[in-house]
Amino acid sequence: MRCDEIAVGDELTPFELPVTSTVIVAGAIASRDFMPAHHDAEFARAQGAPDMFMNILTTNGYVARFVSDWAGPEVQIRNIAIRLGVPAVPGKPLRFTGQVTAKRREGNECVVELAVRAANELGDHATGSVIASLPA
Amino acid sequence: MADEEVDELRAQLEKYVGRPMGPPSEAPDPVNVPMIRHWVDALDDQNPVYLDEEFARGTRFGGLVAPPAMLQAWTMPRPKIEGIAERGGSPGEIPRDNPIPVLDEAGYVGTLATNSELEFVRYLRPGDHLRVTTAVESISNRKTTSLGKGYFLTWVTTYTSGEEVVGRQLFRIFKFDPSTIGSRS
Repeated sequence: MRCDEIAVGDELTPFELPVTSTVIVAGAIASRDFMPAHHDAEFARAQGAPDMFMNILTTNGYVARFVSDWAGPEVQIRNIAIRLGVPAVPGKPLRFTGQVTAKRREGNECVVELAVRAANELGDHATGSVIASLPA
Repeated sequence: MADEEVDELRAQLEKYVGRPMGPPSEAPDPVNVPMIRHWVDALDDQNPVYLDEEFARGTRFGGLVAPPAMLQAWTMPRPKIEGIAERGGSPGEIPRDNPIPVLDEAGYVGTLATNSELEFVRYLRPGDHLRVTTAVESISNRKTTSLGKGYFLTWVTTYTSGEEVVGRQLFRIFKFDPSTIGSRS
């Protein structure tokens, strides 16, 4: 994506992640997070969660992937600020959506601000904003 | 809105605000391609700047970079697997001089992560060896929410490579007493 191809109000290409136990465990271990709630359903339920659930590092990883899948490999993400809501659990696909909320020039960079949301049937899993730059 | 009150425990917790959450720590390994590959496969992230050296050389990055959201993964403590469930999932012993055990001991044993704010000053490259320091940014007054009474605890982790700050993370959790669910202040 080039800077001149992006306008405020544009939708990011939506992405649906089929969340499974494997997706959750793969992300947890790749991020070196051995907290049992991210691989052991029984442990998670004893803590009051409906099932094992995705760790925050993985959620942030998918937000970053969602942004770079749309913007392309030259994008450089500066900030990911999310508010955490319902857990991402097996069997409930997560749908990522987003919109361009601002765009400006900073030297030889084109800076975009994005509103992002990852939701499943339980509600919003993560909502927030991303700031990223592309070569202008 | 949540009801809010100042109480004795909050006054006790004041001494932690602005202080480190624990000693600085060093990533067990420098940023490296095998761990990047593991992450890229786990999240099926096809961005070629993470593993395709030739492609990455032709981009603004000038070479391979790590997925930005791996920032915290590099410095996760090495876990002691035995007993991890009994420790509530903590990878190791929790430092004592820290507000979390004080809240746990006072009955605020519930933990809900509410906010994460990551700042990437630059993308990391293989060879960057991270160090982290973590400081308590704020502790709220006691609030009554739908989960019960508790305190919002916010800390900021600063990541450095050599002398250079390469990233920061603000993290906020709600530490609550599950027995107070449905109560009013």
